[in-house]
Amino acid sequence: MTEIDLQVAKSPEVALAVRNLNFYYGENHALHDISIDFPARRVTAMIGPSGCGKSTLLRIFNRMYDLYPGQRATGEVIFDGRNVLERDLDLNILRARVGMVFQKPTPFPMSIYDNIAFGVRLHEKLNKADMDARVQDVLTRVALWNEVRDRLNAPASGLSGGQQQRLCIARSIATRPEVLLLDEPTSALDPISTARIEELLDELKEEFTIAIVTHNMQQAARCADQVAFFYMGRLIEVDSADRMFTNPKQQQTQDYITGRFG
Amino acid sequence: MTLATATQPDEARDKAGVSHSGSRRSGPDTAFHLLVAASALLVLVVLGGLVLLMGVGGSQAFRTFGLGFAFHDVWNPVADQYGAWAPLFGTIVSTLIGVAIALPLAFGTAFWLTAMAPPRIAAIVGTAVQLLAAVPSIIFGMWGFFTIVPFMARTVQPFLTHHFRHVPGLRFIIHGAPFGTGLMTAGLVLAVMIAPFMTAVMRDVFAAMPAMLRESAYGLGATRWDVMWKVVVPWSRTGMIGAIVLGMGRALGETMAVTFVIGNVTAVGWSLFAPRSTVASLIALQFPESPAGSLRLSALLALGFILMLLSFASLALARMLRGDTK
Repeated sequence: MTEIDLQVAKSPEVALAVRNLNFYYGENHALHDISIDFPARRVTAMIGPSGCGKSTLLRIFNRMYDLYPGQRATGEVIFDGRNVLERDLDLNILRARVGMVFQKPTPFPMSIYDNIAFGVRLHEKLNKADMDARVQDVLTRVALWNEVRDRLNAPASGLSGGQQQRLCIARSIATRPEVLLLDEPTSALDPISTARIEELLDELKEEFTIAIVTHNMQQAARCADQVAFFYMGRLIEVDSADRMFTNPKQQQTQDYITGRFG
Repeated sequence: MTLATATQPDEARDKAGVSHSGSRRSGPDTAFHLLVAASALLVLVVLGGLVLLMGVGGSQAFRTFGLGFAFHDVWNPVADQYGAWAPLFGTIVSTLIGVAIALPLAFGTAFWLTAMAPPRIAAIVGTAVQLLAAVPSIIFGMWGFFTIVPFMARTVQPFLTHHFRHVPGLRFIIHGAPFGTGLMTAGLVLAVMIAPFMTAVMRDVFAAMPAMLRESAYGLGATRWDVMWKVVVPWSRTGMIGAIVLGMGRALGETMAVTFVIGNVTAVGWSLFAPRSTVASLIALQFPESPAGSLRLSALLALGFILMLLSFASLALARMLRGDTK
């Protein structure tokens, strides 16, 4: 790692700096020499056909792959001046600072209130009033407060799919992360719920750096500032959303976004 | 009899006016329908037959001793006085000890196998668990007799007596001559026997849990401990109750292994290290020497009847516990 790289990563402009990243599922080499910057407080969308490695990349940023034996990464992911891949990094703290939302809503088997409080309690000792305020704050930000304020103690499983997914986003931002990872967050939702999540991303990016994996090209075009195209474990092209969808430099990108394959 | 009963579901459905492709059903299809319906109804017939046999066979004992039969603690074949409380007490306590020991063991094994173990080692341990579940109970009986009983008699009991005999609450639980047999030994052997079954059920429950849900918890920075207690356990509560009931059912009726290690004395008392008996072990031991038509045989059948009720009660309890999660 050079001094210059560190400088880049520490500057407020880049939240995550990926350098020469390789990833392996056992013998399977899934990501090849990825280098990409994620600008702070911007939305970066990752697109590409299934199995291209975009979700794999996302799961490196919070070391989710560590849960599974046989998966390993080499290279650098600089976050706040440190390489995320370092062996002795405190994963619990990393994951509080890098939140994640999944393909399907994953409410915990507990009340709406406790779903939010769960993550907060892991890292902070808040009194009742502060916790209440935190819960209200994050639920308001995901536009869920008015819908659930009267039933905070009801099981979260009773909410609709779209509400559950907004709850999961609220749960992720409740630990006050800097980066938010979204792995196809609307793939299980109807168009109206999807639209609400997309609006939400627009507001959230004022505060968080957002990396979103999506299969939906329109979604990438609507939400993202920067778009990265992956194909067979390689980063083919990364550019601003405008240029990517109007004037891609690579033929493969052109073929993919015009629907010729994938 | 089977054929006669097998026609019932058809009639019942016709009465209920449920439409079905019945009219267009071909010959083999009808035969298949009758066959599966018959096997399902056979379950009811067998169950009813069992309850009837135990109830009628035990009626002489119930008539002689009244309902107090269940709570009377004398079992004296010489005086022809019989009460179920001593073996019943032994059955309940040894089962509870067995489940209490097996539950954390099974939970830990299942959690480790599904969430933490390297795949290759998980496969080996998983197979070992299945093999352990396949060991016949008589083997556990002999193992208990030759290994656990001497271990309890020479090591555990002297140790406990030496250190805890003056502790007021514990004295009652540990006193007794160091025979090595008793409720604790039976409970231990039962735990080893039922743990593999409970592990298998819990493993399926944990495996059915969406990986995303677990990852969500880890994704918030939760430790394995947090994830286990706050997410996995509440989520798998229903399945775990199922595992406990399965283990309890096996422990309640376990005969051979318990007979080897419990000491077979029909007495009641809180000492976990004094020889006791259970319903199943008592029946197994005394059945051959009870002549047909004797009050003693009737008392044994009545014991069987109560044991069945006990099993049904544990199932009902499980249903109830499951119900209030909804």
